[in-house]
Amino acid sequence: MSIVLDKVSHIYDLGTANERFALKDISLQIKDGEFIGLIGHTGSGKSTLVQHLNGLLKANYGTVYYNGEDIYAKDYSMKKLRQKVGLVFQYPEHQLFETTVIKDVKFGPKNMGLPQLEVDMRAFEALKQVGIGDDLLDASPFELSGGQRRRVAIAGILAMQPEVLILDEPTAGLDPKGREEILEQIARLHKERNITIILVSHSMEDVAKYAQRLLVMNRGRVVLDGAPQDIFPHYEEIEKIGLAAPQITYVMQSLKEAGLPVDTSITDLEQAVENICRYTKNVN
Amino acid sequence: MLRDITIGQYYREESVIHRLDPRVKLAGTFIYIILLFIFDNIWGYALATLAFAVVVKASRIPLKFILKGLRPILFLLLLTVFFNMFFVTGTHVILQYGIIRITWEGLKSAAFMGIRLILLILGSSLMTYTTTPNHLTDGLEKGLNWMNKFKVPIHEIAMMMSIALRFIPILLEETDIIMKAQSARGVDFEHGRVWTRAKNMVPILVPLFISAFRRANDLARAMEARCYRGGEGRTKMKPLVYARRDRAAYLLVVVYIALLIAGDRTLAYFL
Ligand SMILES: Nc1ncnc2c1ncn2[C@@H]1O[C@H](COP(=O)(O)OP(=O)(O)OP(=O)(O)O)[C@@H](O)[C@H]1O
Ligand SMILES: [Mg+2]
Repeated sequence: MSIVLDKVSHIYDLGTANERFALKDISLQIKDGEFIGLIGHTGSGKSTLVQHLNGLLKANYGTVYYNGEDIYAKDYSMKKLRQKVGLVFQYPEHQLFETTVIKDVKFGPKNMGLPQLEVDMRAFEALKQVGIGDDLLDASPFELSGGQRRRVAIAGILAMQPEVLILDEPTAGLDPKGREEILEQIARLHKERNITIILVSHSMEDVAKYAQRLLVMNRGRVVLDGAPQDIFPHYEEIEKIGLAAPQITYVMQSLKEAGLPVDTSITDLEQAVENICRYTKNVN
Repeated sequence: MLRDITIGQYYREESVIHRLDPRVKLAGTFIYIILLFIFDNIWGYALATLAFAVVVKASRIPLKFILKGLRPILFLLLLTVFFNMFFVTGTHVILQYGIIRITWEGLKSAAFMGIRLILLILGSSLMTYTTTPNHLTDGLEKGLNWMNKFKVPIHEIAMMMSIALRFIPILLEETDIIMKAQSARGVDFEHGRVWTRAKNMVPILVPLFISAFRRANDLARAMEARCYRGGEGRTKMKPLVYARRDRAAYLLVVVYIALLIAGDRTLAYFL
């Protein structure tokens, strides 16, 4: 059970003057239950890549396999694939259209052809998961705040109960509290349901905290692939492609250069404090 | 998919045609289209095709790209040709099979109609390929300045046009994203009956309209914040001034008209 990309390349506007290589020869495997952070600067191809995982974009070269099946095969059902691989777009709140919150969340499961009762149950559950209270169920999505709308849109995908959940910058433009809450809920989903999560983000802190594996993209290629604690110590390489490591990495690195034998692979604030204290106590 | 629509699009390139004053291109295109309707004989079409080919060559836009502009009207084109071929009555029958009857006149009328439609579309899209929307509206505003005397709000019309043109690619892109997002929620746009497909438009149109209103609102506010208050007393950073090449282009248009008339007279004399 996995998603495999085999030498996938994507070219936008092929055959015109605006022809553009967005993905170049990407091969990778995404295993079941992984929590992946996908990072890269603006225009590096993150959104393009994730749209290949549920067949919204078709690779110009190469293939994508879902659970061992070629998704470009003639008799492969894209509709089924899109139910299993849920994709929350950038600014998903712009895609709400129903008159009430609950109706909008039901839209996805309804399209799957589930029985009415099942549709209702999934919609309620999804809304609870993203922290939308019962008092908002019959509100119009357009009278909610930006953050609430974002949650409703995410619930719309969760209600389809996908095996793989992809979120394209789910926290863009939210306040720190809203970001934290949404990310915590995603992390909880990952833990409780053991679904695969792919989180596209610009924030190193966020992916360092939640992801087990990092994919770093640059100009349409995956240039780094590994656990956060293995990748961030190479922060020079990350800086070269216009990104930055988490703040904590810099602190730990400076301490080490100053002669304190701290662990530079730590990216979590509490662990860092503990690690530093251990050595400073020795000094005292 | 929607990105295939190229009408009204600008094609960046360095060429004489791109550098021409937009007023020349507007007037030239206008005259070209009128003349297509006046001189509807073999000479008229031959010269029009030749003129088109010359301008395309000078504009350095690949012919393949230009021909792509025909795709959206292909159906209309085939329909026109079809109707002319079968329903224009004539005396010189070429083929008769049951009620189907193709005459020499019908064939001729179909061919002419087809060519005229193609040149009409391609000629006008060539203008937008070589002129940025800003330039186009500047040209329109200055070229039709005299209408102000008749209380026609030319500046406002030109501004509305430029905003509309500016919004086309943005809205197309937005439609593309919304369609994908709803596909991710299980909407199938490619299969199903007409009724289901029509119903599937709702999840696209509602967000699209909302976003269009939001954008319009933002734009209006941004314009107001920069003290926009209509055309009166407004000056341009780069006013349009005719250069030598523009005068030369006008001269070529006159030569084109003269050639058309001369050829037409000659043809009328011999037939
Ligand atoms: N629909 C499209 N048509 C043409 N080119 C596109 C399209 N979408 C993206 N591109 C181009 O492909 C490249 C990759 O874009 P993509 O949206 O995947 O980047 P991204 O990493 O998601 O960026 P961001 O962080 O800004 O969301 C960019 O150079 C972009 O200009
Ligand atoms: Mg993106």
